Amino acid sequence: MGDGNATNNRGLSSNNKPEWLQQYDLIGKIGEGTYGLVFLARIKSPTANRGKSIAIKKFKQSKDGDGVSPTAIREIMLLREISHENVVKLVNVHINHTDMSLYLAFDYAEHDLYEIIRHHRDKVNHVISQYTVKSLLWQLLNGLNYLHSNWIIHRDLKPSNILVMGEGDEQGVVKIGDFGLARIYQAPLKPLSDNGVVVTIWYRAPELLLGAKHYTSAVDMWAVGCIFAELLTLKPLFQGVEVKGNPNPFQLDQLDKIFKVLGHPTPEKWPTLANLPHWQQDLQHIQGHKYENTGLYNVVHLSPKTPAYDLLSRMLEYDPRKRLTASQALEHEYFRNDPLPGRNALVCQTGEKVNYPTRPVDTSTDFEGTTSLQPPQTVSSGNAVSGTMSGAHGGTMRSVPRQMAVGGMQRMQPQGMPAYNITSQAGMGGGMNPNGIPMQRGVPAQAHQQQLRRKDPGMGTNIYPPQQKSRRL
Amino acid sequence: MADFLTSTHRAKWIFSTQELAEKYKASNQRAIQALEKYGATLMEVDADGSLSYPEPPMNPKDTADKHSRPKPLNIEEERYMRVFYENKLQEVCNNFHFPHKIQATALIYFKRFYLQWSVMEHHPKNIMLTCIYAACKIEENHVSAEELGKGISQDHQLILNNEMIVYQSLEFDLIVYAPYRSIDGFLNDMEEFCRVKDDQLHLLKALHETARMEVDKIMLTDAQLLFPPGQLALAALRCSNGVHQVIDFDRYLRNILSRQSSAHNVSELIESLNAIDSWVKRYKFPSEKDLKHINRKLKSCWGLGSNDESKKREKKSKHKSKKSSNETQNVLSLTET
Repeated sequence: MGDGNATNNRGLSSNNKPEWLQQYDLIGKIGEGTYGLVFLARIKSPTANRGKSIAIKKFKQSKDGDGVSPTAIREIMLLREISHENVVKLVNVHINHTDMSLYLAFDYAEHDLYEIIRHHRDKVNHVISQYTVKSLLWQLLNGLNYLHSNWIIHRDLKPSNILVMGEGDEQGVVKIGDFGLARIYQAPLKPLSDNGVVVTIWYRAPELLLGAKHYTSAVDMWAVGCIFAELLTLKPLFQGVEVKGNPNPFQLDQLDKIFKVLGHPTPEKWPTLANLPHWQQDLQHIQGHKYENTGLYNVVHLSPKTPAYDLLSRMLEYDPRKRLTASQALEHEYFRNDPLPGRNALVCQTGEKVNYPTRPVDTSTDFEGTTSLQPPQTVSSGNAVSGTMSGAHGGTMRSVPRQMAVGGMQRMQPQGMPAYNITSQAGMGGGMNPNGIPMQRGVPAQAHQQQLRRKDPGMGTNIYPPQQKSRRL
Repeated sequence: MADFLTSTHRAKWIFSTQELAEKYKASNQRAIQALEKYGATLMEVDADGSLSYPEPPMNPKDTADKHSRPKPLNIEEERYMRVFYENKLQEVCNNFHFPHKIQATALIYFKRFYLQWSVMEHHPKNIMLTCIYAACKIEENHVSAEELGKGISQDHQLILNNEMIVYQSLEFDLIVYAPYRSIDGFLNDMEEFCRVKDDQLHLLKALHETARMEVDKIMLTDAQLLFPPGQLALAALRCSNGVHQVIDFDRYLRNILSRQSSAHNVSELIESLNAIDSWVKRYKFPSEKDLKHINRKLKSCWGLGSNDESKKREKKSKHKSKKSSNETQNVLSLTET
């Protein structure tokens, strides 16, 4: 605040939208989950980025008395430190002071692996081309190698968190998203279950399922292996039935699904197996599930002699210490054979291309998450009274357990409604990003973005912008 | 840990001595201007996170009378106030038996926060507690605000009220690098460098312990805003080596520089280490008399100088929320301790 916007009272314009929101045209809601909502918006400010699509992830305020959402804070602090072509880009952070919620603005990615796989499975009824699979996998590993070499474990890799850019100069580029559970691992990481966090079990590494106390980067590589297989077959590789309950129940079915395909793990092949608590305790006679035949190549329809199979089986190595690392995987023969991986994973050199559907958008939901029955023009978004996420959403949720978009969100079902542009309604808006935090490195420090106001509404000048000049140093 | 070389810590939060002085001056000046304009400087953080300066005096004559107007803190007095609360911060963390890392992170947050604001604008006690709370959250050692508040008999709502403005003032650059880990790294390296035999390991241990204590001292100075953590660690180790005489330190410095094909030369590096040493030597804790004097001034800057003023504020806060009235009480209790 205070960036030369002295005519506004309390940082609100007459139409009650917070200034930061006025730089966007809200298109609608594209996802919903435990942490909050995801919106699609376009930049409308007169900048070079006009019309650019932005995904805005709104975090709910955390439980009463807990202050700002730790998930949001951790995601922001990690994304502030990292920058890589294959990692989602945080463009801005906005704060809604009314309910202390945080809005994270990301470059918008039109696709994700969940939707791409689903499209091939349900619509085109055809496998994903070799070129596309290889390019997606290579870029995913490239981003992951960057994270791991910066000592960051993602911990929640799954198809819906692997985003792919739509039309534009980054078309077909993979972006790893949702860093809500990611951690820097300079110190041993506690199990997620200790924080009461629930994540999909299908991509969970066997050492975690067997009660390993600490995370290593190898858990991400297991997930990549599962995703690789899913890209090849269009079906989740280990589709276990999740045991619900607290805290962190033993997932027998998930382990059984893994054992069935990969064979029974043995202490000979996996020396530390005997130390894993659930194995040691032989919970539900887990040691007795004997599956001798390893049928992985049958499941993924690959000959055991192919480089693709070799790479996959090394990612699905039981012993986390023997499992391939991201940097080793990038060096694998699979990526040196034709077709070579490319930057645009969706369009190969021959021009062959699948037209993937765009993300469904629920245009009847405003930034507060409340559904309006009226056309979006009249929806007042932003700084309204309620900070609750009570809003119903228009669509029915899919039954498959999944999360999505910028991550951690359930996707909207298609609404059959056109994306609605609300430009006409918006006021002049303030300057660019008045309340926001500049995200580029090296941008001079801009503190005091908070609303600064005097409590003398009768006195005429409503805003006291302290030391405007010095803050622009 | 994410790489320091590409970190926001390195890119944005290491300053020149001059830049640092300018920042302190700028926030001091802003608070002085607020004082002239409104008669008081303490900003209120509302439940909705918005900030405001106090109400302007009802009677314009009040401000016209130069003698009754509160005197602002000068830059030196502000520094003393920060020093006082930085020590308090260490004390609170020790009482809670928090890991070293949390204390270090909270200290860095506190110092960075007061690069943007004057102690006249935000009560350092509240900010100190919020910095500890935030450090716990970030370092995955979650302590609820309520627990933290209870442990030090403070209203936890004050911690929560300030949380967002702390993150904002830190520009959400929340991953920070304290020198403790660098010390561990250098010690491993030294072990190889001087090919320590098993019976000499106790020497390195002694070197380690003294160096850590030395870092505790460095962390309280502004050196952490001026030098990268590696240099702070080396300064602490050199100091410690001066006590224990374990290795030829100059030779060690030349050795690491030759290995890193660094842009620095030894004399530059030694100059930095000397500068860090002198920050520690110059460090001064305010005398009780100074503190009393500064606290009195600060109280009047905050608009709590006369009985009249505080009553006015209390009245106002009553119809606002109970948080603010607690705030007033805490502010008052501070000066008595």
